[in-house]
Parts: sequence; structure tokens; C-alpha cells
Amino acid sequence: MSYFARYLTRRIVSAVLLIFIVMTLNFFIIHSAPGDPVTIMTGIEQPSKEIVETLKKKYGLDEPVFVQYVKYITNLFKGDLGYSYVYDQSSWSLIKERVFPTLILTLSGSILAFIIGVFLAIFVSHLKTKFGDTIVSIISYILYATPSFWLGLIMILVFSSKLSWFPTSGMYNLRETYTGFKKILDFLHHLTLPVLTLMLIQMPVFYRVTRASIIQNYKEDYVTTLTAIGVPKRKLFRKYIVKNSIIPPLTIFGITLGFSITGAALIEIVFAWPGMGRLMLDAIFRRDYQLLLGIYFLMAIFISVAMILTDIVIAFIDPRIRLT
Amino acid sequence: MNPILEIMNLTVRYKIKNKEIHAVEDISLLVNKEEFVGIVGESGSGKSTMAHAIVRLLPPNAYIKNGRVNLLGYDLINMSDEEVMKVRWKDFSIVFQKSMSALSPVHRIDDQMMEAIKLHNPQISQQEIESRLDKLLQMVNLPKRVLKSYPHELSGGMMQRVMIALALVNFPKFVIFDEATTALDVVTQGQIIEEVRQLVKELSLTGMVITHDIGVVNELCDKIAVMYAGKLVEYGPKSDIIHNPYHPYTKALISSLPDFIKERGEFAGIPGNLPDLSQLPKGCIFAPRCPLADEKCFEQVPSLLRNDDRQVACFKVKEVKT
Amino acid sequence: MRKFGDFVRRYFTNPYGVVGFAIFVTLLCFAIFAFYISPYKPNALSEDVLSPPSYKHPFGTDHLGRDIFSRVVYGTRVSLSVGFVAAGISALLGIFIGAFSGYYGGIVDEIVSKIIDSFLMIPIFFLILIIVAIFGSNLFYIMLVIGLTTWPSNARIMRAQTLSLKERGLVKIAKSIGESNIRILFSHIIPNGMYPVVANSALQMGGAILTEAALSFLGLGDPNVTSWGKMINEARTYMSFAWWTIVFPGIFTILAVVAFSFIGDGLQHTLYPKLSGVESE
Repeated sequence: MSYFARYLTRRIVSAVLLIFIVMTLNFFIIHSAPGDPVTIMTGIEQPSKEIVETLKKKYGLDEPVFVQYVKYITNLFKGDLGYSYVYDQSSWSLIKERVFPTLILTLSGSILAFIIGVFLAIFVSHLKTKFGDTIVSIISYILYATPSFWLGLIMILVFSSKLSWFPTSGMYNLRETYTGFKKILDFLHHLTLPVLTLMLIQMPVFYRVTRASIIQNYKEDYVTTLTAIGVPKRKLFRKYIVKNSIIPPLTIFGITLGFSITGAALIEIVFAWPGMGRLMLDAIFRRDYQLLLGIYFLMAIFISVAMILTDIVIAFIDPRIRLT
Repeated sequence: MNPILEIMNLTVRYKIKNKEIHAVEDISLLVNKEEFVGIVGESGSGKSTMAHAIVRLLPPNAYIKNGRVNLLGYDLINMSDEEVMKVRWKDFSIVFQKSMSALSPVHRIDDQMMEAIKLHNPQISQQEIESRLDKLLQMVNLPKRVLKSYPHELSGGMMQRVMIALALVNFPKFVIFDEATTALDVVTQGQIIEEVRQLVKELSLTGMVITHDIGVVNELCDKIAVMYAGKLVEYGPKSDIIHNPYHPYTKALISSLPDFIKERGEFAGIPGNLPDLSQLPKGCIFAPRCPLADEKCFEQVPSLLRNDDRQVACFKVKEVKT
Repeated sequence: MRKFGDFVRRYFTNPYGVVGFAIFVTLLCFAIFAFYISPYKPNALSEDVLSPPSYKHPFGTDHLGRDIFSRVVYGTRVSLSVGFVAAGISALLGIFIGAFSGYYGGIVDEIVSKIIDSFLMIPIFFLILIIVAIFGSNLFYIMLVIGLTTWPSNARIMRAQTLSLKERGLVKIAKSIGESNIRILFSHIIPNGMYPVVANSALQMGGAILTEAALSFLGLGDPNVTSWGKMINEARTYMSFAWWTIVFPGIFTILAVVAFSFIGDGLQHTLYPKLSGVESE
């Protein structure tokens, strides 16, 4: 097997293990909740006899916790995300239409944050004045400290309520039915503020890491060697420093996804964006734990997939990775 | 004797916080055609700083306070940065010590070596570049695959050879070896020293070898210059220095070698530490550690006694015989 | 003692550290002297419903006529306590788990490392969410849960420190003269290795404040307590015509977290001056 295939396999195995741990944790938390397990599981106060029987059989509620756990995990592997008794639908049917909105919000927000953060760091380094670095640095500290939901609300306040440039909520204009191109525009119109919010919240980390990386790289020996050879400063920066400096922010991109999903969930709630975040909140309030577990499972999969993809990209750029 | 390199009263200082470190203090030196001069001294003696000053690669917090350097007809100290960039690596170059990141870790070896060629030979064809790279690799005993490799894929010895090949890429006339063997194991060091010897002959190189290891200097050099705390304390032909050192520091240095390049039996380290380089003392800079020092040594700076090729800066030396 | 004095002096040469500390001290005063600083009782209702900032109410009033400035001042208590307690629990757990795991090594260490890595990759907030939703949203409980879910980053730092300290001469000597492992851990390893954890804890305090704010915003915060997050949540309905109800609690949240970030950075620069430096390029 080539090095790459081995690397990939290891990452996938890690991911599966991770998801496994996460679901186990969640499962046991729910099962240690005070109260009658059936009530908890269904979310309904007085479940009917049939429901109780079905549940008992499917999840082995009479049996010791460990057996239930095994049954649960096996169900997951079969692709059964559980059944929401509160909504009286399978969890998956509820979740599936929420996947796309969340994905597009999270991915665009994170990728834009990465691009802007890295570019800003490169730009500030190119300028070389300490002033630029200080200003952007302080802005990034402030953005990092800003609660995502608060920023979203402020966005609505300024850009929707006061300026009416953007809609306050939702994914589409429910009063009109656009088709084709107009529909896409409408969608983008609604997407702007939420993505902007997520991007602003995420950007600081990428800026700081890239900037630190650039500063660190300038202290490396190869800068002296290449300068000695005669490589002019601009080329040194553009070709060598930039490529070396991009690796740390890429490395943390995967890690930040966990935070961006959190941020995205809160932003979805603020903007009434029909994604998994909103569904999750509803599930919590209705004590619909089955649904919640299903959502968490899906999120864990997304994060893992994204992390693996990021690792692949890094392996392409950083030749040192391939050998491990 | 035509000097390839002439250093005159070179003084280099570092600015650290509010202090000024006197790294190189009033050094004058000559290197003649096809001569190899070894610069020895302990860490902190200023030898590496001097080398970097010559090729104008000092870090931003260092500056040349005084002095002139004439290398191959170039007045290096008084040239602008742009002018230096144009000539550096054409007729003269420096072999750096190999390190984890002596070259960019995310670019291939040939990519980086080609920069050195193309920047100074803008008209050169790709074919010529490739044949030159092949030839260079042969000269340093490296296999062809090194060209397409990345730095981390190479062993320490291979990387050091790459740095040597890189320095020779435009067939310079003068090369400085800055601690080029320090980070290598003894066996590899021996191999590389031998390879360098061949190269020097093949390419009729003139050069300078910066090291703390007198053994290396013994193999590669014709003359030895001993530096201590930024000053030149002794200079002369290799065998003279090794078998008949004048300066107390040189004597201590030679006798602290456990070894076969000289016949003496005594063995001693040199007690004491380097002085604080932010404050130059009134007298001889070695006085605090010198077993022979007396009042005069602490009051006045000894000037260089010379006789042809032999120089010493010490009050205790009555006369210098070649 | 002298070492501490040096440490403090070096800390105050870092501008971020100084500003962070200044803001923190101000907020601390707000929290401690809330009674004297706030012009009104935080829950005192009045008839000046949703009135804009004025001399009488510097930050305006909310939908129940309560003075926002007073509420924000009292809210400082909540935020700072959450920050301290949560980060404190996280630090204690992290230090002990990291030190013991790194010191004794073996299979326990491998398991702990795997757990640490897993925790660091998953979005912790959802875990906290589900726990608080199930088990209750008492303020102390929230602090506990945050502490119990954020210790891994401290543990990882402490473990790395332990691994390197383990090889140091001091520890080897102690071992050879027969000092018990526990003693070595408590008198050499932990006191010497815990400083980066302290720096990290400053950042975690900011994170805890943001987490509590998010929980309150979602309605899962302590209902008996005036927290900034709760104020933001309550302000949602009124914000378009009463911007002051949402802006001020948000600004203070940002201020608090920024202060802790600055302090964390200042501590980092004091501990590892080599890593700093926006100087030469």
C-alpha cells in the first residue's frame, strides 16, 4: 500500500473511533438522565402501551444498559438514526432537509474566514508597518471575543432593521415564489448576513495563526540562505514565505470546524435559518433525545469528513507529511 | 602574493536591548590566491559574525561600525544592498552549516538551486542548468535523485553536501565555509573534509574555514587565525601555530586537544568564561583568563606584532620569528 | 519571591498584558462593589420602560423598566464567577490528570491521551448543552459542567510539560534518593510545569464566559441570575427599537473576554519571551 493510502486509512479509522466515542458519551449521558427511560427516550409524558412495547423491543429497554448500548450502536451502523416520537417521524426524514442549509452556511463561513484571515495576515506582513499589524490584531481580538449570536443580532439590527439591505431571517422569501436564477439570488441574499457573521467570528484565529507563522518563518535559516543566493525580498515573500506559512492555518482548519459548527448553530437560531442548529434547539426543548442523538451523529460525521479532507489537502502541500 | 580578500580594521557591533555587543573588534586579515585560512575560536569569539559581515548577511540588529573589506576587487562594505545582491554568489559564496531549515522545506532541492543559477545567469538555458546541476552533484558525490527531493528527505551528510554544491553552483573563486562540518558525526565529517579537499584542488578555490575544531583546520587550511572575544590574537602558517604557538590563548587551545596533531603530552582545559562583550576592557581582552597576565596587560591593549606571515597580539611575546 | 517579582515586572512590559489586566481590575471592581456602583437594584421595576440612555439611566432601561447599567454591573459578578470557577475546575483537573498520566505513562497514559485528543476535536458546546438540558441549569452546575468538559486542553499542556520535566536532572536525582513518586509530582513536576496551564486558563475564562452567554441565550441559563447572555436574549424582541437593550450587555461580554485574552497573551509572552517578537523580518 502506498504511503498515502496508509495515511488515509489511519485517518479514517481515527475518525470512526472518534464518532464512536462521541456517540457512546452521548448515549450514556442520556441514559443517566433522571426519570423513566421510556419517557426520556420518547419525549412524551404518557407514552401509549404500543409505543412502550415497540421501544422495549427495539432498544431492549428492559435489559441492562450495556445491551441497550450495543443495540443502539448496531442501529447506528445500519443507518438507523432513531425515531423521533415527538414529531412522529424517523429522525432522518426530519434531518435530511436541514443538512444542506447547515452545510452551506458552515462551509462558506469557514472557508471565507480562512481565505480572508490568511490574506489579511499576508497583506499586513507585506505592509511591514507595525501600525497595520496592531490595528488588525486588536480587531481580531475583539471579533474573537464577540458572541456569535450577539453579532448576528447586531447584523440584523443594522443591516436589516435600520438599513433594510438584507432580510432579517429565513433562507428564502416566503412571500414570493422565485424560480431559477431569481431563486438563487434570493437565496444568496438571505445567506449573506449569516455567512458574514460566521466569517467574522472565525476569521481571527486564521489571521493570528498565519501572522505568527509568517513571523516565525522569517526567523528560519532558509531566509538567510535564499537571501544570500540573491532571491529578492518580494520573491522570497511570495514564493517561499507564503507557501511555508500557509501550513499551520490549514492544519487548524479541521480543528476549527468544531467551533464553526457551534457558531453556525447559534447563528441559525438567530437568523431562523432552517438548518440542523434550529432543529437541535427544538429537540432539546422538547426533550426529543432520539432526534438529538441523530443530529449529533450526523454532525460528528461531517466534522470527521471535513477533517480528513483537510488532512489530504495538507498532505498535498506539505511534503514532510507524506512519509508518516 | 595577490590577496583575494583583504579585511581592514573590521569592527562589527550588535544592538541588544540598550546594550551594544562588541562582536568583532578591529580585525585585519589577508587571504592570498589559492590560500585557505582557518578562523578558529570558541563560541562567541565573533568568527561567524565576521564571516557574515564579509558577505553582508548580518542580521538587522547588527551593523558594521568600521572597516573595509576588499574581496575580488569589490569594496563590499561600501556597496549598497542591491549591488551586493548582484555579485554575491557569482564570484564568491558561503557554505552554511546544514540545519533543519537551511533550505525551504516545502520546495525541492533543484528548484532552490536553480534560483542561484538563474538569478546570476539570466540568459542561461534550461538544458545548461540541468547539466550544471548534474555536474555539481557529481562533484559532491550525491546521487541524481537528490535533485527532486525535499530537504527533510536527506540525511545530515547529504544536506551538508547540498549546501556545498549550492555554494559552488556558479563556480566561485572564493568560498567561506561557516561551521560547515560542525553538525555532523565524525565519520561524515571526515568524508566531507576529504571531498572538500578535492574540490578545492579541482576548482582552484581560495577560501576561509570558520570552525572551533582545529582538527578540521589542520586538514583544510594553510594558515590559521585565532580569534578570541572579537579580536584577532594570533595568525600564521598552520604548522607554526600548531607546533609553536605564541599567544597564551593559542597555547591553551592547542594543549586542550587530546591529541595526535602535536607531540605534547599536557592536557588542560581553559578555565574561565568569555568576557562580557558589551563592555570592552581597558587592557588585553584575554587578561582575565590568562595565566601570564600582569598589570600592564590589564591597562593597555597589546598591538599586533608582525613578521611577514606571523602575527601575535600579546605583551608577553618578545619577538616573533617566522 | 524574587522570581515572582521579576515575573510581574516582565508581565507589565507587555502592552496587551497591561491593558488586559486594567480592564480586568475594572470589571472586578464592578463585581465586588456592584452594590455601590449601580444606581438602582438590578431587578427593580419602574415605569420608564424601554427608555433610551439618559442621565437618569446611563444605559437606558429594558422592557420591564429595569436600569440596564445596574443589570450589567451585577451581571459582571455572574460572568467573572463563571470564568473563575469553570476555568479553575478545568485547570485543576487538567493539571492532575495531565501530570499523573504523563508521569506514570503506560497504557493509562495512552487511554488518557486518546480521550484528550477526542475531546479536543469535538464541539464541546453541544455536550455541555445536552448535559445542562437534561440535568438542570443552576449556575454552579453550569460552571461545573464547563469545567468538566474543558480540562483536556489543560491536561494536554500539563502532560507535555510532565514528559519533558520527567527527564530533567532534578527529577532523576529526586528519584535516585528515593523520593516517592507522589512527592516528586507535587513538589517538582506540578509547581514547575503548571505555568503554561495558567496562561491557557486565562483564555479558558473567556471561553467559559462565552459558553455561559450562549447557554443563557438559548434559555438554558440559570433563571434566577442576571447574566449578560440572558439580557441579550431578552432584548431580542425589543432590539429594533431599543438598541441599548442589546448593545451594552454585548459590549461588556466582549470587554471581559478581550481582557482575558489579553491577559492570557501577556502571560504567554512573559513565560516564553522567545516566541514573541513582531520585530525584524
